Amino acid sequence: MFSKAKESINPMNQVKKISDETLKKTYSTFSKLNGEHPFKTQVPEGRVEYQARYRKGGKVAFFNFDVAKEMGLIPKGHPEELNPDLEKEILQTFSLTIINEWDIENKIKIPQEDIYPHTYMATRYLQLQHPDKTGKTSGDGRTIWNGTVRNNGITWDVSSCGTGGTRLSPACNINKKFYQTGDPSISYGCGLSEVGEGLETLFFSEVLGKNGFKTERVLAIIEFDKGISINVRANPNLMRPSHFFSHLKQGNYTSLKQVADYYIQRQIDNKVWAQTTFKTDKEKYTYLAAQVARSFAETAAKFEDEYIFCWLDWDGDNILMDGGIIDYGSIRQFGLFHAEYRFDDVQRFSTTILEQRQKARYIVQCFAQIADFLSTKKKKSLSQFRKHSVIQLFDQHFLDCKHRNLLQKIGFKRAHQDYLLKEHLPLIIKFKKAFSYFERAKSKRGVYKVADGINRDAIFCMRDILRELPQIYLSRAELLSPKEFIEICKSSYAKRSDLKITPVRMKQINRYQTYYMALMDKVIATYGHNKSQFLLEITMRSSVINKYDRVTGDSISYIVEKVQKLRPKLKSEELYHLSQHFSDYQTLDPDQKKKNVEGHPRQKNIMQNLYSIVRECREGL
Amino acid sequence: MKLVLYSGGDEKDNVHLDKAFIELIGKKNPVVAFIPSSSYLSEQEFKTFVRHYSKFRITRFIHFPIDVPFDRILFQEVMRSDAIHMAGGNTFYFLNSLRKAKLLPELKKFVARGGVLTGLSAGAILMTENIDMAAYPEFDRDENQVNISNLSSLNLVDFLFFPHFKNSARYDKVFKSYTKLHQKVIYACPDGAGLVVNEEELRFIGRCYAFSNGHKFPIN
Repeated sequence: MFSKAKESINPMNQVKKISDETLKKTYSTFSKLNGEHPFKTQVPEGRVEYQARYRKGGKVAFFNFDVAKEMGLIPKGHPEELNPDLEKEILQTFSLTIINEWDIENKIKIPQEDIYPHTYMATRYLQLQHPDKTGKTSGDGRTIWNGTVRNNGITWDVSSCGTGGTRLSPACNINKKFYQTGDPSISYGCGLSEVGEGLETLFFSEVLGKNGFKTERVLAIIEFDKGISINVRANPNLMRPSHFFSHLKQGNYTSLKQVADYYIQRQIDNKVWAQTTFKTDKEKYTYLAAQVARSFAETAAKFEDEYIFCWLDWDGDNILMDGGIIDYGSIRQFGLFHAEYRFDDVQRFSTTILEQRQKARYIVQCFAQIADFLSTKKKKSLSQFRKHSVIQLFDQHFLDCKHRNLLQKIGFKRAHQDYLLKEHLPLIIKFKKAFSYFERAKSKRGVYKVADGINRDAIFCMRDILRELPQIYLSRAELLSPKEFIEICKSSYAKRSDLKITPVRMKQINRYQTYYMALMDKVIATYGHNKSQFLLEITMRSSVINKYDRVTGDSISYIVEKVQKLRPKLKSEELYHLSQHFSDYQTLDPDQKKKNVEGHPRQKNIMQNLYSIVRECREGL
Repeated sequence: MKLVLYSGGDEKDNVHLDKAFIELIGKKNPVVAFIPSSSYLSEQEFKTFVRHYSKFRITRFIHFPIDVPFDRILFQEVMRSDAIHMAGGNTFYFLNSLRKAKLLPELKKFVARGGVLTGLSAGAILMTENIDMAAYPEFDRDENQVNISNLSSLNLVDFLFFPHFKNSARYDKVFKSYTKLHQKVIYACPDGAGLVVNEEELRFIGRCYAFSNGHKFPIN
């Protein structure tokens, strides 16, 4: 019955009535994204379910061919362009709105043929902006889960944002009433999302994904009138710590165990975990906590070193279980180490980049508590896990990652990083101290208000000194004078008074250069390299890693503005190619092979505009 | 004045020009600065450039994009280097960036001081009086994406240079008519060929062609 209904409501039928059998087969995987999801049955108290209806008037504004191929939704050799059958399949699968409590209370009549056969779930998780604070009322406020697909041994979760307001939205719980989807009296909580949000996530996640960050990916953006959209996301596991924390807060052993077992099974099925069998529950859940400790140590270190602001907080909401980024609404990448930036969220200020480590540590501590609770069935106080072995693991792994990240930034290859970490850790620590002295130096201007919060400017651009230093050593074979050193790494935020060469600063400049060269010399001596050749290798790697124009949060906002202005003329495929070119250009992997990025002249002109934006904003927030 | 004008092609094509370049430098392990036409993905171009010239036992290179702000320290290092190579790309964009960065007079000073300046395709066109050849012929020209009207360039030589030349009637027609109207000689070189200027001496490497007063003359 339903397929008939879809035939009658889909606009694409007017273009092409019958698709051939081959194409039907080609796109058959889409039918698995029908609302059915193992979480529904395995964690009954972890979700609310909604019927859904087809939403008319949607257009495919963007489709991610790369992700779709990885997920097996389209074959590997599929051309990177939409055809009527594919467009039809995308719209049938994702263009939907839930039938929510308001619709039912108000007895809204929906033609039976528009209603999808399966229900879709919104998951429950802890969110600090809910007054309840235990996760009884919070979770996916405007998102439903479409289901799972499995390809090449990986199961992918797919969810869609902007599919209608659920009972788990903050607005419902703060105002104690249900809302009609799209109710203009509320903004956050009306159940809709916007094309701008989808584009911001698209550009940011593609860049960060190609630079080794774990992240959600945008699979599709379905556009409706007035800039409203459904943004479809995909990831091999979309569970967040907050999915666990709601049950933990409520002391709900059964549901917490169900969530943990569900999550563990997915990690094992996706071959993410090295260990797949466990003799006891204690071993299994402690392993889970250790995995979280490792992932969050890595993520917290990478966030700090790549200047990613992610507003990590105690509810574990804005992050995936593996430390992956989800929900780009509050994500930023700073051009410099603006370590005192705080986002102003009206009622409170956000955490800073440096406070993220403590929040990540807290999340790990909660998992130590979870592991114990699930093993003993007794929920102990969180404070008892302050010195748990997984916390020690987190602290140690965090430092290891910080050291490795620094060596990577300098330009050392993996093998050289391994050697230095094993044999010369004290030297790395000495260099790190000098490096941090400059990286963390702040402007005398002090804290001041910026567009969306407060900040105190960083005054040195470490990417510049890392990029230029090896070239200059190579050219003149001597150290830089203090004046030259400051001239190279001063940022546009630095005032004259910030740049004074004090005795302390002079000492740090000497230390920086001495330890930098000492690290080079250790590798050169051990591996028998020629000094010039080695510095040349570092020069080339560092020029990619520490590229002059690296994307920032501000630049992404301006880029999205620019793309939205162009959008009426920009076809879905063009947007896909643009996002791919842009993320390739922003890939800072020195081992990456050069890609042929020749495009249509119009596309080239757009890209030129995007480069200028990145350049303009390169030191900002 | 020491200049090398490369037309294009790969490293195998340019063996003789490279040899002439190394001879012009006349120094062991010189410092060579690489100026890309645009900073976009220039790190990859730099890598390719380094890999190529490392074969001549050169290990000291500087990557110097000029369409992004640069500091005085690196700039001075470039000007102190033994050779500067201007890469290929969009000639209009390249000239506009050089002008914006106020580098045209600096490059002239570099050459006057005895530094070796080399250029490939767009980089070679820039050494001439103007970049007319980038806009010529209509069927094979760079797009003036930066909309500049002042096409005057380094003016280091008294001829024009046309790279990637294909020996065909339609190119001949265009260049013959151009040289009927303009006084300058055009040296047109296919990939792998090029010119070497050593003080007063001009050497042609590979099969080159001269267009002058509406006539074509093969050289070599």
